[in-house]
Amino acid sequence: MVQSKKQKYTFLAFCLLPTFIMFAIFTLYPLFSGLYYSFFDWSGSSHVKEFIGFDNYIKLINDSIIPGTIIHDYFLVVTKVIGIMILAMFFAVALTQLKIKEAPFYRIVFFFPNIMSVVVIGILWTFIYNPSLGLVNSGLEYLGLDSWTRPWLGSEKWALPSLVLPSIWAGIGLFMLMLMGGIANVSKSYYEAAEIDGANEWQQFWKVTLPLVWPQIKISVLYIVITTLNGSFIIVQVMTGGGPNNATHVMGSYLYQQAFVQYNFGYGATIGVMILILSLITVLILQLLMRKEKVEY
Amino acid sequence: MKRSVGEILGRAGIRIPLILWSIAVLYPIFWMFLGSFKSNAEIYRNPWGFPESFSWTNFTEAWTNFNIDTSVFNSLFVTVLGAFLTLALAVPTAYAIERLKFRGSNFLFMLYVSAMMIPMVLGWIPLFFLLMDFNLLNNLVGLSIVYAVSQLPFTIFVLTSFMSTIPKSLEESAAIDGLSPYGVLLKVITPLSMSGIITVTIMNAIQFWNEYFMALIFLQSKDKYTLALAIDYISSEAEYTNAWGTLFASLVIAIVPVIILYAIFQQRISKGMTEGAIKG
Repeated sequence: MVQSKKQKYTFLAFCLLPTFIMFAIFTLYPLFSGLYYSFFDWSGSSHVKEFIGFDNYIKLINDSIIPGTIIHDYFLVVTKVIGIMILAMFFAVALTQLKIKEAPFYRIVFFFPNIMSVVVIGILWTFIYNPSLGLVNSGLEYLGLDSWTRPWLGSEKWALPSLVLPSIWAGIGLFMLMLMGGIANVSKSYYEAAEIDGANEWQQFWKVTLPLVWPQIKISVLYIVITTLNGSFIIVQVMTGGGPNNATHVMGSYLYQQAFVQYNFGYGATIGVMILILSLITVLILQLLMRKEKVEY
Repeated sequence: MKRSVGEILGRAGIRIPLILWSIAVLYPIFWMFLGSFKSNAEIYRNPWGFPESFSWTNFTEAWTNFNIDTSVFNSLFVTVLGAFLTLALAVPTAYAIERLKFRGSNFLFMLYVSAMMIPMVLGWIPLFFLLMDFNLLNNLVGLSIVYAVSQLPFTIFVLTSFMSTIPKSLEESAAIDGLSPYGVLLKVITPLSMSGIITVTIMNAIQFWNEYFMALIFLQSKDKYTLALAIDYISSEAEYTNAWGTLFASLVIAIVPVIILYAIFQQRISKGMTEGAIKG
């Protein structure tokens, strides 16, 4: 290729610069100035910012709502990881190992909620939980379990657990496909060898499938944790708005409320810094915990 | 291999959870469609069954009296502009990172990719004031730009891995034929990456069509509401007006384009999302 150095660099700049400038303005700059804002008392409307050092962080530590939001976030993380991984693994094994003719049907159906809007999912499930008309209470009444019916999303005790089911419902398809991809890569000969050794299907699952799809399991867990910590507030905002009485507030929804409803932008940024730090620490710890070497037979 | 009776029963048993979960997924969606044809009175009387008669009243109501027509247009606008901007920004960078090895290309790639793991919620506060300063707050173009940049990391990531499968010889022979690097990018690389470009664009478009939270923060007046915001608004109003039928009709309007895209591109979408997650 005959081209001068200058031409080469011009082309490189043409490819990279506009994109990087946009990325810097709309992603990097906001993140760093978010950190910066967390040291200010700032109500936004007036462009007057007052530097208050670590006061926002002290306020954060003393804020009685904050521990609840952190606990709620991790409650969602743990229940979603357990619920999604068990069900997704079960479905993935069922659809790959047992020859089911209509497997593509299940694959297509189970995946669909993954591309539905959180707003649609949230409203649909709000209606499913509706105390008088909803499917859950009607179903319980039909089964004669009238005493179990309750205003699910209106109850301080049950509102948060009620958010888990829609999240699992919406997420399972993607992780099922990821695990199926992993299982499909496991050579048939391992299962044949295991069968000759007299291993039953249950033993085959524990001794062959599970270790060999460990990379996919690890990625799935990490992915659920990251997307939950970074995005659980969306379904919370749609379904409960953090209520009743802060019982479902997660870190992100509390940030939204502080910054964009009550105009405490400096304090909101401080909550944002907390979310950033907590999710980075969590991912780091998880990666250490799950650093099991890939198994090769 | 002979199958024992137990095994056959086991195989039938395994279908039960599969069928139950299919019902759990399909029934609420199906029911949403049914509800959109019912009158409010009927929704109260018979919330989970078939409608007595199919009427389009809810749809015309939503379309004309609840500004869904404006919102559909707004959503379409940010979806198309956002998806187009994402491509315009991502394709050249993906090509440069993948093919023109330069100092720092790995670092740049890592920078973009690691942005996928960072919670952007912290950045939304400064972004709000940035858009205000640019006069892009409560502005559909502004939202499209924010959307496009938010999907850049994922798009660059998918496109670089796709472009790495294109044989280098094609570019070289095009360059020998006298094509400038700009020509190679536009006339050789872009058409050859079309399959990857289509996959990633469908996924970005669905993302933008569905997006809720950034729209909630960066749009303020009802005439700018995207579909997600309009539905959220109708939903919060429905607690007082009980206009459930209208709410279902607008949910149906929001979901039908996604169902159509899924019906056509089901394999691309599920493959694209799975691979995006695995390699990320």
